[in-house]
Amino acid sequence: MVSRSVAEAPARLREQMDEFLVRAVPNEDVFLFTKAIDNTLVVRESDPAARSACWRMIASSAAAVAVVVGLLAPSLYGLLAGYRLEALKQEEQRLETMRSALELQEARLLSPARLQALAKMQRYVDPAPGSVVYLEGKPGHQVARAGRPHVNP
Amino acid sequence: MGDEEIKAIEQSAPRVRWLARIVLLWATLILFRLVQLQVVRHNDFRHLAQQQQEHIIEVRPPRGAILDRNGQRLAMSLPVESIYVNPLLIPNIDVAADLMAPILNLDRSRLDADLHECVQKHRGFLWIKRKAPEEEADRLRNLHVDWIQFVTESRRFYPYGTLAAHVVGSVDSDGKGLGGVERKLNDVLGGKPGKLLVTEDVRQRGFESEQYGAPAQPGHDVHLTIDARIQYIAEEMLRDTVVAHHCHTGSAVVMDPRTGKILALASYPPYDPNQPVRNEFERKARFNQAVSVPFEPGSVFKVVTLSAALETTNLRPESIIPTGHGAMTFFGRVVHDSHNGPAAMSMEDVLVHSSNIGAINIGIRVGKEHLYEYIHRFGFGQRTGISLPGESPGLVFKPEHWRPSSIASVPMGHELLVTTLQLARACAVIANGGYLVKPQLLEDAPVQSKQILRPQTVMTMRHMMEQVVLRGTGRNARLIGYSAAGKTGTAQIVDLQTHHYTHFYNASFMGFSPVANPSLVVAVTANGAAGTSGFGAEVSAPVFKEVMTASLRFLEVPRDLPDDALPVPDDGKNETNDLAIADLSDPTLLVPPEEAAGDSDGDQQGIFVPAANQVSGPQAPNFIGMTARAVAELSAQTGIPVESIGTGLVRQQYPLPGAVLPAGERVRLRFAR
Repeated sequence: MVSRSVAEAPARLREQMDEFLVRAVPNEDVFLFTKAIDNTLVVRESDPAARSACWRMIASSAAAVAVVVGLLAPSLYGLLAGYRLEALKQEEQRLETMRSALELQEARLLSPARLQALAKMQRYVDPAPGSVVYLEGKPGHQVARAGRPHVNP
Repeated sequence: MGDEEIKAIEQSAPRVRWLARIVLLWATLILFRLVQLQVVRHNDFRHLAQQQQEHIIEVRPPRGAILDRNGQRLAMSLPVESIYVNPLLIPNIDVAADLMAPILNLDRSRLDADLHECVQKHRGFLWIKRKAPEEEADRLRNLHVDWIQFVTESRRFYPYGTLAAHVVGSVDSDGKGLGGVERKLNDVLGGKPGKLLVTEDVRQRGFESEQYGAPAQPGHDVHLTIDARIQYIAEEMLRDTVVAHHCHTGSAVVMDPRTGKILALASYPPYDPNQPVRNEFERKARFNQAVSVPFEPGSVFKVVTLSAALETTNLRPESIIPTGHGAMTFFGRVVHDSHNGPAAMSMEDVLVHSSNIGAINIGIRVGKEHLYEYIHRFGFGQRTGISLPGESPGLVFKPEHWRPSSIASVPMGHELLVTTLQLARACAVIANGGYLVKPQLLEDAPVQSKQILRPQTVMTMRHMMEQVVLRGTGRNARLIGYSAAGKTGTAQIVDLQTHHYTHFYNASFMGFSPVANPSLVVAVTANGAAGTSGFGAEVSAPVFKEVMTASLRFLEVPRDLPDDALPVPDDGKNETNDLAIADLSDPTLLVPPEEAAGDSDGDQQGIFVPAANQVSGPQAPNFIGMTARAVAELSAQTGIPVESIGTGLVRQQYPLPGAVLPAGERVRLRFAR
């Protein structure tokens, strides 16, 4: 029999040895230590049933997602196309307005009163009837005679 | 697994089961709510969504443009922003007025008063400015104030301002035509509005739109026969002459005699359709003088009288008409001509020198029935049907309402009212070979005409009207490089309040060019001229000359006078006095007529000069076909003076061979190759 002090004894024994001892805290006698365990040689047992079930689950989930996407995608594309269409309509309207504004500006620039004022500034005069020569239209949109005028001998 | 572990698991199972039950209950409640929202109350929420997302907006189609015959835009519409607010949502009215007034160029105090008034009366809408310029709208939009709202409206622009304003017209603030073509063709230009169903997201971005109800129909463009260049010249020349001669109003019409297409229709005073009417003067300026305001034509009407004479009597241009040296007695009153003259003259000279007494005698010879018939044939007293509102038919009394002296007044162009457009159309009858055409303003309108004169009558009238320009009262209308024909007119204006004729005149000229193949007719009238410088020859004939010269050049009409044409010799006469004497006219007839009293055969009371008083003199030789040398020899031989125009052989001669040559007159010859 080895004589030990009360402090060296395990908790349950201490209670038996000395009733005045304070009760041991839980797991006082539990010691943690690491134990190197090499599980590299442990392999999962092959379970074909579980594998096939897993793949079936993946396939069915993918199919469900595809079905949902297939059902929602047209309406989504339609919605996006609607936005694009409305934006294009507004753009068309804006361009029409711009074109009308340019036509108005062009008309103002070409007003007879303005052209007359510009002509006066440039000191243009109305030609006398005798000095106006009307050229007949030539083929190929040429309005001027290419050669010398024919002179009677 | 040890017993204690199994025991521990068995002890925690009820808690897991309770957790599972709670989760299941929660899922069931969610599912139940989903079914309630998306199945049971589907229609309610769909309706609510539609209210929020779908809007029906009215689509106002753009108003059609008005273009001239060359495609120049006389009127067009552009979308512009109109600004409105809800005064009840404005945080501070005074600040709002301070903000908006300088940007929109509004009266700050008035805007402030309007806003306060709306708030007091709990009105949730107030227009701030309608159809504001783009710069002002952009500046206001950049403030990003949520109580300022914008709506797109259409605004009408008239790029050429006052040009052709009386033809084009204007629109009111709602885009409805007020006058001119804008009013007459309002349904064609305006189109029809439609509705659009627009679906928007939470940010009010539209992603779907579809037609709702009847589709919008855009307004159609209207192509006029007006040529902006000719219109400008006509307006400028008209304005210059009205201002220079201190007239009140004026009008001018340029027309294609063959088709009736109006190339220019000018009215003075002008107005700018871009501006609203601000006073009574501007309101009266919107009257179309050429179409809506009739007047007594005076001597231009002798064209109608002489045409009727050629058609219904045996009178010819060389027929001698008594003129009594400028004074004759009619219906117990001595009537003086506008100028002294010979005892008699040829019918041609009656027109050339605008002899009133000669015209009276011709009118008496025609008779009131025939004269009225040809007045009606020429379209007077009837609307022309032109595409303009407010056209006046003029005023022509039926023969049964004529007074005994009317047969003397009407041939001179008194006791009846005509418009400048009617004068142009009457002149076109002579120019186009005897057809009364309907004046057209629309480019694609069909030509409507009916023959009212024989071709030989027309050719004779053309020749006589050419003589008016060559040697008569219309010398100021002579053109360079083109032959021209026409008639001047000067009519006293009646004061309808005092029923007396005044010494203010309606000065007119109507004519066409070239003579052989007329391309254009121009009629000019100036109202309110006075003095000797207020006659038609002084006021309106120069306008005809300028407008016709420019118009023929614009339309590239070939010259018809030879390059080496001899100028018409100036005989020193300045015959501009063509005043139609109104002595015999009754100004009270220009109000609703009373029943004519007295002898219904009053037109027979005129006096003919007995045959013994007819002019005698040498007979004109036959120069037709002679060369210049032969003409000179024969002229020297017979002692008859000649007046020559052109080169080559004699093609035309007046007076005709064998006709009596009045004393002091010479034979006029036209040479041509």
